[in-house]
Order: sequence, then structure tokens, then C-alpha cells
Amino acid sequence: MAEKQKLLEIKNLKQYFNVGKPNEVRAVDNVSFDIYKGEVMGLVGESGCGKSTTGRTIIRLYNATGGEVLYDGVNVHGKKSKRQLKDFNRKMQMIFQDPYASLNPRLKIADVIAEGIDIHGLAKSKQERMERVYELLETVGLNKEHANRYPHEFSGGQRQRIGIARALAVQPEFIIADEPISALDVSIQAQVVNLMKQLQKEKQLTYLFIAHDLSMVKYISDRIGVMYFGKMVELAPADELYKNPLHPYTQSLLSAIPSPDPISERTRKRRNYDPASHHYEDNEPIEFREVTPGHFVLCSEKEYKLYQAQSR
Amino acid sequence: MEKILEVKDLNISFHTFSGEVKAIRGISFDLFKGETLAIVGESGSGKSVTTKAIMRLLPEHNSEIKGGEILFDGKDLTKLHDKQMQKIRGHDISMIFQDPMTSLNPTMKIGNQIMEPLIKHQNMSKHAAKERAIELLKLVGIPKPEIRVNQYPHQFSGGMRQRVVIAIALACNPKILIADEPTTALDVTIQAQILELMKDLQKKIDTSIIFITHDLGVVANVADRVAVMYGGKIVEIGTADEIFYNPQHPYTWGLISSMPDMDTDDEELYSIPGTPPDLLDPPKGDAFAPRNPYVMKIDLEQEPPFFKVSDTHYAATWLLHPDAPKVEPPEAVKRRQNQYVGTKGGK
Amino acid sequence: MTNKDIVISKDLFEPAHVDPSKSEKIAKASLNFWQDSWLRIRKNKGAVISMIILILLIIMAFVGPFLTPYEYDTQNTKHNNLPPRIQGLENVHWLPFDGTLSRRDGTEYNAYETRKVDAYYWFGTDNLGRDLFARVWKGTQVSLFIAFMAALIDMLIGVSYGAVSGYIGGKTDSIMQRIIEVIVGIPNLIIVVLMILVLKPGIVPIIVALTITGWTSMARVVRAQVLKFKAQEFVLASKTLGASNVSIIFKHMIPNMFGIIIINTMFSIPNAIFFEAFLSFIGLGLQEPHASLGTLVESGYKSMIAFPYQMIIPSIMIALIMVCFNLVADGLRDALDPKMRD
Ligand SMILES: Nc1ncnc2c1ncn2[C@@H]1O[C@H](COP(=O)(O)OP(=O)(O)O)[C@@H](O)[C@H]1O
Ligand SMILES: Nc1ncnc2c1ncn2[C@@H]1O[C@H](COP(=O)(O)OP(=O)(O)O)[C@@H](O)[C@H]1O
Ligand SMILES: [Mg+2]
Ligand SMILES: [Mg+2]
Repeated sequence: MAEKQKLLEIKNLKQYFNVGKPNEVRAVDNVSFDIYKGEVMGLVGESGCGKSTTGRTIIRLYNATGGEVLYDGVNVHGKKSKRQLKDFNRKMQMIFQDPYASLNPRLKIADVIAEGIDIHGLAKSKQERMERVYELLETVGLNKEHANRYPHEFSGGQRQRIGIARALAVQPEFIIADEPISALDVSIQAQVVNLMKQLQKEKQLTYLFIAHDLSMVKYISDRIGVMYFGKMVELAPADELYKNPLHPYTQSLLSAIPSPDPISERTRKRRNYDPASHHYEDNEPIEFREVTPGHFVLCSEKEYKLYQAQSR
Repeated sequence: MEKILEVKDLNISFHTFSGEVKAIRGISFDLFKGETLAIVGESGSGKSVTTKAIMRLLPEHNSEIKGGEILFDGKDLTKLHDKQMQKIRGHDISMIFQDPMTSLNPTMKIGNQIMEPLIKHQNMSKHAAKERAIELLKLVGIPKPEIRVNQYPHQFSGGMRQRVVIAIALACNPKILIADEPTTALDVTIQAQILELMKDLQKKIDTSIIFITHDLGVVANVADRVAVMYGGKIVEIGTADEIFYNPQHPYTWGLISSMPDMDTDDEELYSIPGTPPDLLDPPKGDAFAPRNPYVMKIDLEQEPPFFKVSDTHYAATWLLHPDAPKVEPPEAVKRRQNQYVGTKGGK
Repeated sequence: MTNKDIVISKDLFEPAHVDPSKSEKIAKASLNFWQDSWLRIRKNKGAVISMIILILLIIMAFVGPFLTPYEYDTQNTKHNNLPPRIQGLENVHWLPFDGTLSRRDGTEYNAYETRKVDAYYWFGTDNLGRDLFARVWKGTQVSLFIAFMAALIDMLIGVSYGAVSGYIGGKTDSIMQRIIEVIVGIPNLIIVVLMILVLKPGIVPIIVALTITGWTSMARVVRAQVLKFKAQEFVLASKTLGASNVSIIFKHMIPNMFGIIIINTMFSIPNAIFFEAFLSFIGLGLQEPHASLGTLVESGYKSMIAFPYQMIIPSIMIALIMVCFNLVADGLRDALDPKMRD
């Protein structure tokens, strides 16, 4: 692999909701990681741990409470001219989780897909616009005839592919996929994942792939980050994470995934995670530390030593 | 083994604005005492409708049981009066739904919700029912049950709520427990706990379970036998080992090989092309034919009958007909077959 | 369960070819929202019949006054208080159109014959001898106009206010919601009475009086919808594409609320009609010689014992309009509510 180039740098990102009120939520709390050009970065963790919020803050759907997101070295948040904003909108796109809620039920598929084309003026004539739409439909495995239909006429997998076409319409470089397959059936998940992988190769895309299904994430991702209650607890190359999980939460998460294999299921032992098991002292600095090259764990100095010894 | 439930050639339709949806098209299966039968299949394949028919919970205004019978305890459930059915529901057969929030009454104390079936079906006194409710909460692993009985559903987390739902379902020691995607809305770690709990309880009270899910990992974890549904029919049924290590139906092949196992990496995932059949107008012949890479002319003409693979294993595909050509299943399936033969030989 | 020995010719076991693009095909005809809704509402008999009755009523409200030779505001004191009489139907004695009235002692007499009037007043006349047929339709026209205008203005104000409040959110939303609470908190009647005292009774003041408090329910409904849609993924998708706020509200949110807006409006029309009638009844309605259904009922009420038809006919009209609007609105709710879709 050639020298890896950083596309995004997320530094100490914080996103708090209801700040100052009794129901304050620290949905994302001091998260830092990089995303390299052309890679698939996976993000896993149980629901409510802040995965979507991380993705949405990166793409500026929310204003960050603290920290910064650098895209090609430029801060995404902060004041921008209209032009700069539009540039960001074209470079970064998002694919959503719920195939039923992510398409406006009153728009025809052609208008759903062409929204980005219209906003950014990417087609000079009506005809060019429609040609782009047909081309995009074909890219995602649908055809011309589908352009004049409404979302409710499509199945979940087809809708998800329409959502992909909508994102591709503005020719983005970076796509955040927020659980794009969790709502789909197993047989359809494979279709969408294959499509995403193929598009990534053809268009040199970079993905942030959010999921809670760990087997698909492992398959599609180069590196995986594990989140727990707003914090990133472990980040490592996909294989490394599965072979050598260090943080006890990652271990419990991995041990909980049932595999489609009755024989191994009969003997699988589940591990529970108890946050109290760390026995952190009150002022002990708990930081994100690099245990082996590329393998980061949120840990104390003591644990760090221990993990290093384990990984040798 | 003792048969506890027998479904015979069940046909169910819905009358909708667009026409008649033939949701269930001739389903037959047996449920044995103490076993877990998993029903898998993609959404819309008719899993929920089948189980709702057993519980007689189908919407009355637009559904119709067009034929077949459901035999339980010598009675045909499709023909019982509502009153008779009420005696069976929650007592002999109970059900757990996917969403633990909507299956609990938010305005009623947890304890009272557990006591309700006990008082109704078992004529327990209020006091005895409360004792039993506390016992049940303890059984499903809820700490401090004496305090928890007096709380409301919103004071419980999602996983806890599903435990309560299980406690209610098991209150009367039902002979059959139907679980419709009971863990789909939960996180993997919570799911693992709930599955363990269900298996544990099953051993204790010897219930038979019908477990609906679309997650093959969960199936592998809980099932003794597996029925695979497609387009309103069962296309393959067998023991868990038979379905996972020696599947015969090309749809089952597709399902199994489209899941990456921990060591598929760069190769493209096997995927089933196309979309599920429209049950408003099911295709002629085999409903799976349009998506079947091994499709033969006969698939487009005639529905395949069940072919016997072993005493416990049947599959409805023309590929099993003696005259059909021998085809190679996808790589992932072949790997599984070999692996299984290997381990079996080793034993 | 098995079926091992079916005999089938061997050539059927040859591989077949299925066009792969076919498996993505959608068989159902493409229906848009309105077509689909129409199919649904058509199945609701009550709603369809109500709709037909309403259409007939609306046509009659405009055409009715021209069908009789008499003007709605011409007084003819010689012909006052005549009961309904219709050509042809006057001989069917069980129908109330034979021109008879009953005295206090219960005996019946024909008012037209005793007073030697050779005319046919289809709905009879009032105490000033004005033709009630013309007046009832004229009154229906005025009442419907007031109700429609009030509903329309409610809708415009309610939708804009609710959309702005929900979309901007935060402090603005809190302030705007408090304002609504204050308006709702003051008894409706007091505001209306004050308004009418200031503006003098008339069509416009009544409409203003109705709308000054009426828009709040629409505003609340729309705000709730906007809040819901704000978090929906298709709106987020649109934001990430760089869509402007205006286009998000008008292209993505409002079209998805059409159903709810229409239903709300349909329920507010009969309310407006009822409220107008109520205002007339307490003497704050239109002034003579103008007529609305409310004023007709009110003046009929005064002579209810002697000339019951003067009150019964406009009352039936009000009841009919209200029932029909409610049934149509109910039907629309079932037809447009996306939750009911399958
Ligand atoms: N707009 C919001 N306002 C308040 N709390 C929110 C909002 N969005 C998310 N949260 C909270 O932030 C936490 C993280 O949510 P989310 O990022 O959606 O988790 P995930 O995607 O990992 O399931 C949750 O506790 C959620 O309730
Ligand atoms: N109440 C209903 N009205 C009309 N059609 C229904 C209804 N319930 C289920 N169906 C149809 O029956 C089929 C099977 O549904 P279901 O059993 O819920 O599938 P699943 O396998 O996902 O549980 C689907 O095609 C669905 O559209
Ligand atoms: Mg999420
Ligand atoms: Mg279901």
C-alpha cells in the first residue's frame, strides 16, 4: 500500500445535548481518530453509544460542542462562506439507516435522486438531468422505468440503493454510511454491501461505515473503532481487532455475536463487561493510547503496560 | 418424540385495496415437545402471519384462513370460538413480540401485568399471584424483584422489559412459547443474555418454542430444528445441523452464503439477486425461480413438492428430483458441507 | 409430505433462462398519493354520500335564491308567517308541504286558503313575509362563505406560524408557544364579543373573530409535524446535500403534511359554522336583512311554537352541513393517514 494520506482528522470531538440541563447527554465525548483516503473505517458499538451522532457531527448536521473536524486540512465547522459550504456538501455525503424514512414519500424517484444535481446545478438541461438520473439508477442496479415511481413501491433493499444513488449524484469523495444495512434482510444486505464495495473501487471513495452488526463490518472495513457511551474505547485494523481485542468491552461485544454455525454456538462462552472492573483511581489519566502500531485502546498507564505485554 | 402442535396445509389471505395477498400458501409443520423450532426467512415471507394464525391474532376485518388446520391438544385452533381460544392464549400457548415497549401496558404496574394471566387462568388469589410474580421476575434475572414488581415499564431498560415480557409469557408454564423476533430490537450483548435466559427457562419448564428470526446467528444459537420460509411457503425444513451444514434448497444456500463468516475477506459476498416475490400475484411455478441461479424450465411451470433428504430433512426444490442435473452449491456451502463431514467423521 | 415418484418429462429439467432485470420489476401500477387516497376514500360509503350532499348544498347555496320568484330581502307583510307549500306535493298529506298549520287546540287549518293567498312559498315565509326558501339558501351561502374563509385564514396563519416555530426551534419556539398558550387561555367568547363590539356585526368582523383564536390548533398540529420531520432522515439527507431552509420546508415538509392540514381544515369548517350560528343566537351575528343560517334559526326560535317550520328548516340545514363535513373529514383521515397504508 502506498503512503497513507489523511483525508479526515477528528480531534477531541465533543457533542453534548441539552447542555446545562439535568438531562444533559454527552453523546460524543472527546473522540479522536483519522480517516485515510480510500479506506473503509468501521464504527461499532451498541445503540445509543453515539455512533450516529459522531457521523452527523462530522457532516455538520449538528454543530460540535467542542473539538474539530479537519477535511483535507480544513476545519469543517466554524464560519464558512456559502460557496465553501456547498463545496463541503458535495465532498461529503451520507447514507441513512431507515430505508422507509430516508426517502421523501411524496417525491418521484427521479426527483429524489436529482435533488443534489438541482441544488448544485450539475445539469445544464432537463434532458441532461434525466440522463444523469438514469445513469445513477443503473449504477445501483435499477433501471429507467423506476424513475417515475414513488418510494413506497420499492422494497427495503431497493430503497437503500436509491439512497446510495442520491448520495452519488453529487460525486462525493467521502461517504458516511449510518447503519445502511441494519434494516435489511440478510440476503439483501449482501447486495448492498457488494454494491458499496464495488463503488468504492470504481470511484475511489472513502467510507465511514457505522454498524452494529459486527460480521459485516469486519468484512467491509479496513479499520474498526469501537465506541462505548460516547467514548472510543478501541481502534485497530479489522483483523487485529478480531484476533486480539484488548479492551474488555470489545471482548464482551465480540463474544456476544452469534455466528451462523451451530457447532461453534454450542460451545461459545460469553463474557460480560463491567465498567467497574477497571478499578481506575480517581485522578488516573485515562487516555487513548497506541498499544501496538495502529492499535489504540482507551486505558490507564497501568493497563497500557499490561496490554503491551499481552500483545507481544 | 411427542407431537404437540401440528400445522397442516395452512392457507391464509389478506384482502387489501390492491387485491388478495396470498400471504401463506400451504404450510405444514409439526412441533415436538421440548424442542425449539426456528422459522427463518426474509421479511414478508409470512413468518409472523403463521404464528399469529396459531394464536388467532390475525386482524379480523381483512384476513381469511382459506384452508388447512392447526391441531393442538386434539382441537383445531382455526375452528375454536373466541371464548375457547382465550382459555388457550396465555395459558397453553403464549407469545413474545419484537418490541418490548409496545407489548407492555405503560399505565400498569409490572407486577399487575404478570399477575393478570395467573389470576385469570389459574384462579390464583391476589396474594399468591403476587408471590409468583416476584418469583418469575427473579427467574428471568431481574434484581430486587420485590421492588421492581411495583414499578412501571418506563422504569425498565429495553433488555429488562423483554425479560418482563418473557416472565409474563411464562407465567402459566405454557406448553408452547411463540417468540416473534424477540431480540431483533436489542443490542447483541443484551440479545445474548436473553437467548441464554430463554434456553435456560426452556429446560426448567420443558416448553416447546417457535422462534422467529431473520438472523442466522441467532438460529444457530437456539434452534433444534429450522424451517426456512420463502414467499409464503416453507421451502426447507430439517435439524439445525442439516440446514446449516447440508442445505439443499438454493434459497437456503443463498441465505447461508450471503453472511460473511469471520474469514471471508476480499472475495465478493454471495448475494441473492432481485427482490422477494409480490404475494399479490405470486409467480407461476416456484416462487423463487426468478432469483434462482440454478433455475430449470420446470421451476417456471410447476411448484416443487417436498423431497425427502433424511427422516428429518425435507426440501422443496426440483433440484432434488432424480432427473435433475447435479449442480454445485456456492463455495461457502461446500466449505460447510466438507467441514461437517470432517467433524462427523472425527466423532 | 413427500412426493418421490412424479413422472415428468426430462427436458423440463434443462436450465431455463430468466431475464435478471425482471426480478427488479414492479408489477403494481404506479399510484401517486392522491390517486391512492381516492381509491381509499371511495370505499367509505358515508364519506362519499356526504361529499355528494355537500356538493349539492354548495350548488344550491348559489343557485337556490334564483329558483323562486321571490327575493330573500323583499318584505310582504300580507304574506307573513305562511307555512311551506309546494306544487304537486301539497296533495300528499303526510308531507309537511300542504300549507297547513295547527292551532293551539290542535286543530289544523290551511293558512293559504284561510288568508286567501294564491302563492307557493316552498319553505314558507317569516314574520315579515320574506320567502324562506330564498333566505335559507342565501343564509347557507353566507354561512359557508364565513366558514370557508375562516378555515382558509386559520390554515394560512396556522401553517406558517407552526412551521416557523417548529423549524427554528429553541428560544423562538418557546416564545411562540407561550403566545399560543396565552391566546388559548383567554376564553374565546370574550375575545369575540369584544371584537364584535368594536367592529360592529358583519361578515368580516365575524370572520376576524373566528380566526383570531381559531388558528392555534392548526399551528400546534403543524409544529408537531415539523418537529417530527426535522429529525426524519429524508430531511437530513436533503440538508447534507445543501438544500436551503425554504426548500426543505416547502418541498419536503409541507407536502407530507397535506393530509393532516386538509383533515384539520375539514374539521374546523363545521366548527366555524356552529360558532357563527352561536354568535347569531346570542345576538352578535349578522344584522337584518342579511341572513345566515344562524340568524335564521335565531329568528325562527322566537316563534317556534306557532310556526315551527321557521326554525326547523335552517336547523336541519346546519345539522346536515356539520354531519357531512365531519363524515368527510373522518373518511379523509382514514384515507390520508399514512399509518393505515398497506
Ligand atoms: N438530538 C438529540 N437530542 C438529545 N439527545 C440526543 C439527540 N440525538 C441523540 N441523542 C442521544 O445521544 C446518544 C447517542 O445517540 P446516537 O448517536 O443516535 O447513538 P447510536 O447511533 O450509536 O445508536 C443517545 O443517548 C441519544 O439518546
Ligand atoms: N394486516 C395485514 N394486511 C394485509 N397484508 C398483510 C397483513 N399482515 C401481513 N400481511 C402480508 O402478509 C405477508 C407476510 O407478512 P409477515 O408474516 O408479517 O412477514 P414476516 O415474515 O416478515 O413476519 C406480507 O406480504 C404482508 O404484506
Ligand atoms: Mg444510530
Ligand atoms: Mg414479522
